[in-house]
Amino acid sequence: MSQRARASLSPALWLTVPVNMPTLDAPEERLRKFKYRGKDASMRRQQRMAVSLELRKAKKDEQALKRRNITNVSSDPASEQLTKGVSLNLQEIINGVNASDPDLCFQATQAARKMLSRERNPPLKLIVEAGLIPRLVEFLKSSLHPCLQFEAAWALTNIASGTSEQTQAVVESGAIQPLVELLSSPHMTVCEQAVWALGNIAGDGPEFRDLVISSNAIPHLLALVSSTIPITFLRNITWTLSNLCRNKSPYPCKKAVKQMLPVLFHLLQHEDGEVLSDTCWALSYLSDGCNERIGQVVDTGVLPRLVQLMTSSELNILTPSLRTVGNIVTGTDHQTQVAIDAGILNVLPQLLMHPRSSIQKEAAWALSNVAAGPCQHIQQLIACGTLPPLVALLKNGEFKVQKEAVWTVANFTTGGTIDQLIQLVHSGVLEPLVNLLTIQDPKIVTIILDVISLILKAAEKLSEKENMCLLIEEIGGVDKIEALQLHENPQVALTALNIIENHFCEGEENGTILPALDQDCEYLNHLTKNYQGPTTSKPRTTP
Amino acid sequence: MAMELSDANLQTLTEYLKKTLDPDPAIRRPAEKFLESVEGNQNYPLLLLTLLEKSQDNVIKVCASVTFKNYIKRNWRIVEDEPNKICEADRVAIKANIVHLMLSSPEQIQKQLSDAISIIGREDFPQKWPDLLTEMVNRFQSGDFHVINGVLRTAHSLFKRYRHEFKSNELWTEIKLVLDAFALPLTNLFKATIELCSTHANDASALRILFSSLILISKLFYSLNFQDLPEFFEDNMETWMNNFHTLLTLDNKLLQTDDEEEAGLLELLKSQICDNAALYAQKYDEEFQRYLPRFVTAIWNLLVTTGQEVKYDLLVSNAIQFLASVCERPHYKNLFEDQNTLTSICEKVIVPNMEFRAADEEAFEDNSEEYIRRDLEGSDIDTRRRAACDLVRGLCKFFEGPVTGIFSGYVNSMLQEYAKNPSVNWKHKDAAIYLVTSLASKAQTQKHGITQANELVNLTEFFVNHILPDLKSANVNEFPVLKADGIKYIMIFRNQVPKEHLLVSIPLLINHLQAESIVVHTYAAHALERLFTMRGPNNATLFTAAEIAPFVEILLTNLFKALTLPGSSENEYIMKAIMRSFSLLQEAIIPYIPTLITQLTQKLLAVSKNPSKPHFNHYMFEAICLSIRITCKANPAAVVNFEEALFLVFTEILQNDVQEFIPYVFQVMSLLLETHKNDIPSSYMALFPHLLQPVLWERTGNIPALVRLLQAFLERGSNTIASAAADKIPGLLGVFQKLIASKANDHQGFYLLNSIIEHMPPESVDQYRKQIFILLFQRLQNSKTTKFIKSFLVFINLYCIKYGALALQEIFDGIQPKTPLLQSLIGLFELPEDDTIPDEEHFIDIEDTPGYQTAFSQLAFAGKKEHDPVGQMVNNPKIHLAQSLHKLSTACPGRVPSMVSTSLNAEALQYLQGYLQAASVTLL
Repeated sequence: MSQRARASLSPALWLTVPVNMPTLDAPEERLRKFKYRGKDASMRRQQRMAVSLELRKAKKDEQALKRRNITNVSSDPASEQLTKGVSLNLQEIINGVNASDPDLCFQATQAARKMLSRERNPPLKLIVEAGLIPRLVEFLKSSLHPCLQFEAAWALTNIASGTSEQTQAVVESGAIQPLVELLSSPHMTVCEQAVWALGNIAGDGPEFRDLVISSNAIPHLLALVSSTIPITFLRNITWTLSNLCRNKSPYPCKKAVKQMLPVLFHLLQHEDGEVLSDTCWALSYLSDGCNERIGQVVDTGVLPRLVQLMTSSELNILTPSLRTVGNIVTGTDHQTQVAIDAGILNVLPQLLMHPRSSIQKEAAWALSNVAAGPCQHIQQLIACGTLPPLVALLKNGEFKVQKEAVWTVANFTTGGTIDQLIQLVHSGVLEPLVNLLTIQDPKIVTIILDVISLILKAAEKLSEKENMCLLIEEIGGVDKIEALQLHENPQVALTALNIIENHFCEGEENGTILPALDQDCEYLNHLTKNYQGPTTSKPRTTP
Repeated sequence: MAMELSDANLQTLTEYLKKTLDPDPAIRRPAEKFLESVEGNQNYPLLLLTLLEKSQDNVIKVCASVTFKNYIKRNWRIVEDEPNKICEADRVAIKANIVHLMLSSPEQIQKQLSDAISIIGREDFPQKWPDLLTEMVNRFQSGDFHVINGVLRTAHSLFKRYRHEFKSNELWTEIKLVLDAFALPLTNLFKATIELCSTHANDASALRILFSSLILISKLFYSLNFQDLPEFFEDNMETWMNNFHTLLTLDNKLLQTDDEEEAGLLELLKSQICDNAALYAQKYDEEFQRYLPRFVTAIWNLLVTTGQEVKYDLLVSNAIQFLASVCERPHYKNLFEDQNTLTSICEKVIVPNMEFRAADEEAFEDNSEEYIRRDLEGSDIDTRRRAACDLVRGLCKFFEGPVTGIFSGYVNSMLQEYAKNPSVNWKHKDAAIYLVTSLASKAQTQKHGITQANELVNLTEFFVNHILPDLKSANVNEFPVLKADGIKYIMIFRNQVPKEHLLVSIPLLINHLQAESIVVHTYAAHALERLFTMRGPNNATLFTAAEIAPFVEILLTNLFKALTLPGSSENEYIMKAIMRSFSLLQEAIIPYIPTLITQLTQKLLAVSKNPSKPHFNHYMFEAICLSIRITCKANPAAVVNFEEALFLVFTEILQNDVQEFIPYVFQVMSLLLETHKNDIPSSYMALFPHLLQPVLWERTGNIPALVRLLQAFLERGSNTIASAAADKIPGLLGVFQKLIASKANDHQGFYLLNSIIEHMPPESVDQYRKQIFILLFQRLQNSKTTKFIKSFLVFINLYCIKYGALALQEIFDGIQPKTPLLQSLIGLFELPEDDTIPDEEHFIDIEDTPGYQTAFSQLAFAGKKEHDPVGQMVNNPKIHLAQSLHKLSTACPGRVPSMVSTSLNAEALQYLQGYLQAASVTLL
């Protein structure tokens, strides 16, 4: 029925009401509607957005997508003796590479590789434009000349480490298949260089990654993992595997993931820092996404070890292991429970106090997703002492950290019991929260206003509203909320207005209720048109 | 239909545009109508654009540009399901020409076109207007700053929404696109403009244009950097911040203005740069850290060298706020901790900005309402004093001891200055009091004043030595600012100053009600009001009626006299103090009631001519209610005296339809009627038919008061209504029907219905009962809300008690099968308590309100006792349901159990069994 419908006051109409047979909804249906309205945990807990737009610079903490094999002459023993004194210019290289004599080919290829390996300004563009790639790809297949294979693979590795176009040039010359075949080469150096090249190709993006996967690279790569190979080789394999796990839209296929996971579990037990780092990165990519993907990772049993690695002093281990666990707690309540059982909540308080703000932020993000769970999870969160460091971050953290901390509090407030809310308030959350109302971010401000509103409602239930209102006023909240009524974002303004109207209109306590002022009415009228309801859901994007 | 782009059409259009400027509405209106009637035609906007470009007549040019902008505003947006109001060809043509046109037009027209571009941009940019950015950016190279400023202004109006919109994929895609096309050219323009500023350092007019550009560029910087720190600006932070820093320290005599009020270009630019620096400091701390110390120094030097003129206010308060936000962050603590730094901030930044300036003095005397609002109610967010206060609090976070120490020295020296020559140096004392106040108050609320004070300041000592002497001086009109300061001191430190001192100050405050200065007597009234609301132990008021008794007469006299002082005839603080005094003094005021009620009715009569102060009016009605209650509590018969005094004014208010007052009048009448112990007086019955007039019920503000009044009528006069006004019963039910149709007012409808059921003789409503239920069921089916169901349940219970379960059963039999209702009833009982307000219910009253209406304001002292018609009869509704069902089954044995078992679902059945067991009954 339209809200505007008005019945006439005339007695005539009053007597001619048609008779209807009303029924009520089944009780359980209504119950759902009331109790869980907008509070579904899955609504509040979301993964990183599928396509996340960034205005910022790419993060410095992330893992490298492509790597060039840089070297200086002295650390190049494999070819040192053979190449002593040979230095060719580009034209000589072109001629040499196109010659039919394998020795000339080798010398030219090696010269090209050296140019491509120098520390500064490697001439990737020149080499590509010189049209050398098809020949280099051909050399990969010359199994009679492993040294040539090695040099060609290395050169191609470094070309593929360049721009997307340069990687594309390598792929389009058909390099993937011969490189995969080289994974079975009896010569370990050749084999290792092929691993590296494939890593660079897969790192370019989902398209080339899937080309590498569909060329059946994974079984060969996995077969290379053994305790007898040199550590540098193992590192390369791990890194390439991580690139095969990386990137979305689409994610790597389920089958590939399933093949890699047992080996990743195995690598996670390793002692080497780099192997651990790249394994954790791989797991962080695999755990990014829907609950099914998270389930695959959780079922491997990696959580206890991951939580252990979260205490690592190495940033390159801590960052990806924390990221992985953070991803996992975006999953179902059960998956989160497994993470809690593995001890994540014992580690997070320390990480909230980590000297690096990027770590604080990821930790707060993970915590926010635990807080989005059922109240039992919230209880554990309290029991593990996460509230004091959380409040400290709200107070003194960097803005990006404060933002995550605010989300945590918001989720806590939405899903927590009254008792838990009391503990939250007692932990001193209100003052820093109120101070953040001046932050230049309308979303965060709206969330804080919603939190304040929820806390006031809880206080109302406990008949503590008056004290709560005073507390908020004391810490300067009322002034700030009043000022927000003039915010240019209509939702911020409306939320602020509602709090003032519902909780801070003077007088109730001493027996007078003030009349609503005319302009408020008109203002509200204008605002309600744009109002989209309270914020309860949480878009959990990449922290 | 298309209009030709012909000279003839241009001529016609010119004629009509000319007519729209005619002062005579008989000529103007038809012309406006005509233009609106043809604006749907193709080429109409192009004709306007042609005119604004080529017309010989400047007036027509401007008129065409305004008409064009309004046309765009009305028509450009394509609303779903509505026809496209501008044809595609015109849209394309407009977009192709408008930027060029704007940039080549004189300023007056440029502004209109720039607005039009923003409106179009809001709809079409970026997808449907891909060239816009390139076109704008290309103009940067023109070197013509008239053109460049036009582009910058347009860009600002397009981009400024980035400052307040929520992050979304759509928004960020747009920002990314803008950054890609705009960030580099903007940066180059910024650098080039700054270079030009030094080239033209001696050319005032060139500088003015260049600085306008710099202001716009700085504003664009803020918009583009608001959502997140873009990669481009991170890479180019050096360029931007170095230049911002230079600009902050720059001064040029040619740019200084003589105007004392209006901020000049330099001030505006520096103020925006402070905002930009604050944005970076707040959001991008990690990246900005290395620039921050330089900005702190620059901004602080800026503060030290900036004068007291009003034109610098925004700049100064922005700059101080920047320092305040930085100094409370732990990792910048070191920038402030040096004793010399602290001293110099206190001395050169805080103290000067706390001084009472000429402008404040002016406001104190001539614009006291504004002054009070700023000083008392905290609407001083942008003032220098407030900013200085915030900086004190910020510094106290880490340096409370040193800061208090430094300021104590200042306070003492300022008080000494004052003592030397009060009439010349009174401002020093004002600043001293202000300093003490801002230093001492750590937390403050309206209700309790200061709740946490700095322990380093001895508030009582200061009160006794420096505040009381001023208030004790015989002349209440001497040094009004200091008087106001002293009274305010009492107000805000009322929780810190011991009661005996407060008691001493009460007669002093009463005395100051006579002060001529509006601020002083208002503060005195407000302070008394606040003191009278203070609570002591056991939650009783801190001051008892007995303690105030010695001053009753002088208090009441002075309060009412204050209402006759110039400028205070509708002073809400005084009226509130009157109300509060009544409430505190209770019986002690009875001897004065005849005079008081006369004065109040006179006031009521006077303000009802033109009600303009809602708070004042509200407290006045509260005071009237209090007079009635206090008097009639002791002597109920006195109600007649009040009716005599008030009804004349009330009649006038009702007859003149003074909308603001009608809800109050009804509430006071309810109170009077309820005070009567016997049957309803005939004077009330004469009013009864008028209360049912639909027009009264159209105003939502009237509804609660009218319902309350009708309830009073039903309570006191149900028999009279049944016998003498039975023909009005359908009208009464009509009101009920109207009310329950609205989600906002349905509970009011139930109040009325419940009163009807409870008080009216059953036979008088018999014939309507079935329709009542049908209406309720209809509403239940069509738009059911939690509130409605709760009210419905209460009603069902009341009905059962009044008429018996059998009667309820009969009604149900007549309308619908029983069991779904029974099941629903059980469902309702077992529903978890729902205390959330569903979104759709939250704002109904506003949605329901067509246009402006007076809101209802409940009078607390007209208050009605909670009425429970059921009382002890039904303690437990579940048991009551079981018992009622039992009764029903006794009446028609065998039917109920079978109905129950076949129609209820298992869960409901189980609950019902529980109720039956608890009530120890069985269904027969």
